[in-house]
Amino acid sequence: MNKVLLGLVLGAILGAIDGMTAWFTPAVRAQIAGIVIGSTIKGMIVGILIGGFARRVQSPVLGIAFGLALGLLLAFIVALMQHGYYFQIMLPGGIVGLIVGYATQRYGRGSQLQRT
Amino acid sequence: MQFATVLGQNLRCGLSPVSLRTTLPTTSQLFGNSQDGSFPLTRHSVVLAAQSHDPAERSRAIEAIAAAYWKPVYKYVRMKWSIEREDAADFTQDFFTRLLEKEFLDAYDLRKGRLRTFLRTCADRLFMNQARNSKRLKRGAGSPHLPLDFEEAEQELATVSRCESPEDRFDKEWVRSLFALGVQRLRVSCENGGKMVQFRLFERCDLEDADPTPSYSQLADEFGLAVTDVTNYLAFARREFRRCILDQLREMTPTEEEFRCEAQALLGVPVR
Amino acid sequence: MTQLSDKVVARLQAEMQVPDLTGTRYHLVRYLARGGMGSVWLVEDTVLQRRLALKVLDLIAPTDDLAARLLQEGRILARLEHPGIVPMHDAGTLLDGRAFYCMKYVEGQTLTQHIPNKSLPDKLRVVERIAEPLDFAHARGFIHRDLKPDNVMIGAFGEVLVMDWGLAKVSASNLKPAENEIATVVLPTQNSLRVTGTGIVLGTPGYMSPEQARGDIAVDHRSDIFSLGAILWFMLTGSAPGELPVAAGSVPRPLRAICEKAMAADPRARYQSAQEMTADIANYRNEEPVSAYSESLLERAGRVFARHRTAIVLVAVYLLMRVLFILFEPR
Repeated sequence: MNKVLLGLVLGAILGAIDGMTAWFTPAVRAQIAGIVIGSTIKGMIVGILIGGFARRVQSPVLGIAFGLALGLLLAFIVALMQHGYYFQIMLPGGIVGLIVGYATQRYGRGSQLQRT
Repeated sequence: MQFATVLGQNLRCGLSPVSLRTTLPTTSQLFGNSQDGSFPLTRHSVVLAAQSHDPAERSRAIEAIAAAYWKPVYKYVRMKWSIEREDAADFTQDFFTRLLEKEFLDAYDLRKGRLRTFLRTCADRLFMNQARNSKRLKRGAGSPHLPLDFEEAEQELATVSRCESPEDRFDKEWVRSLFALGVQRLRVSCENGGKMVQFRLFERCDLEDADPTPSYSQLADEFGLAVTDVTNYLAFARREFRRCILDQLREMTPTEEEFRCEAQALLGVPVR
Repeated sequence: MTQLSDKVVARLQAEMQVPDLTGTRYHLVRYLARGGMGSVWLVEDTVLQRRLALKVLDLIAPTDDLAARLLQEGRILARLEHPGIVPMHDAGTLLDGRAFYCMKYVEGQTLTQHIPNKSLPDKLRVVERIAEPLDFAHARGFIHRDLKPDNVMIGAFGEVLVMDWGLAKVSASNLKPAENEIATVVLPTQNSLRVTGTGIVLGTPGYMSPEQARGDIAVDHRSDIFSLGAILWFMLTGSAPGELPVAAGSVPRPLRAICEKAMAADPRARYQSAQEMTADIANYRNEEPVSAYSESLLERAGRVFARHRTAIVLVAVYLLMRVLFILFEPR
């Protein structure tokens, strides 16, 4: 699996999980389907971009930093659209970006970060 | 008498009677000169010759063995059994007399071990038998008597460390004896080849106890030679000495295997 | 008779070992070490003005058998051109009749000197690099037969060189039985010599395969695999196989299994090539399954966790954070 695809899949999975946890917030429970879809798409976009970055830049530190920044940015945009819940959206979003950033640097075809 | 025959041979070789008090003939003197009618013993035959039924051949072979082993035996028994010098001298003479009379060498099997180890073991057994039975060989006027310089051996023994084992001393004396015989052989070879300058350089540089050894330029001044000549002459002498030592050893060892093992020991190379 | 003191005798003994380089292009610098069959000296090549190691026999061989063996070693080295095999430059006979050959002078340390205080991954990498020239030689039909820590050098630039091919021979699997005779010459070296009922034994106890120790004629490249396993064991425990191990308890089980497989008594049970063995070592280094070791479920889980621990921890942190949000989110 190449890095872009890895980023896509991982971003989608984590984005979906992210979205599903909204069910525990009664206020938005009614919109759960939209939240899950939106979160998944957000995760996929983040994953593709981070995976593309990892193909060009082989640096764990930069990959993690890029993932974190991108995750936070997209999560901020989503929170802006929600007019709130900035902390609850941006923190998980940032961590997802961080995880995808690390994973695309560490794994995926053409990975330079093998354990030595 | 067997020794008288040897004595006669050595007089023909030019050795003075006085020197015979302190030296045994070398194997080359005993065996190497076809002009006096004695046949040269081949490498494998010193030990086998010592087991021969021919008394003349046996005598020559035993004396060649004695030349290499009398000091090791003497010093070994002095150290191991702490006996007086006169008793050790008597024992040493006794030991080689019995060798001459085939008592020990009949039991020697070259497939089972080295001659050096065999002789040391025989010395131990003889001593223990004599101590047990309080018996000494009664040597009458007709018994062979080897001209051995026990005084010299005793002086050398005084310098031996008390920490050293008799077995180690035996082995070291064997090396020393062979080297001394090698030096004799080298001297004869250089005399015959008109290369006494080479021999004297070798003697001056390698056989003296000087510390530090003289430099090549010092030797060049001393001998009135160029430094390059000193280098070349010493290289020749050392090369010849090596050949003499190994030839000597080859004559003393009955098999190629033993020769190589003993050569390693002689060279001071560790052998497992 | 000339009286020679102990000091003079020792001096003469040392001089007898010195190679007589008269008539050659080499100038003696100093003594280096003892090798199989003879001694090794540092010499200066006066023509090319470089330093070389000159290996010379102790003795002149009357039947040329030892000389032939030394030159055989030189020829083997000349044919095995590999970065991990010390290159050979010259061969011949000295004026005193002793055979010699010249090879690259390796400035560095033996394996024994190099490995203390090295990390486990470093040690494993060294073993992999020892295997490379072995594999190369095996592919060309040669076996070393005397592989041990003292015959491996680590050069000044970290290069790993396998030395002392003095006992090397053509592998049994590459020759008809009649041609693959064991040496009939007894070599009085410090390496190696015992006579058994079936033949002459060449090699070093502890690192020598059982079939080599028995003096079997049909010794092949798997004997070197045994020795490589013994070297790995030595690097992991600090002692040769058969000796009381200094640190056997701390050897990870997969590595122990690799050593045991390499040193199996039956050559058929060992790794069949050095490459196969190093593949397993690389697997261990990369936290992947080792073919020589059957891991339990728990061990597998532990290995997977160790290999992916960062990712697992990150995901766990994320999930934990999510749970905490759920639990403590204001209603």
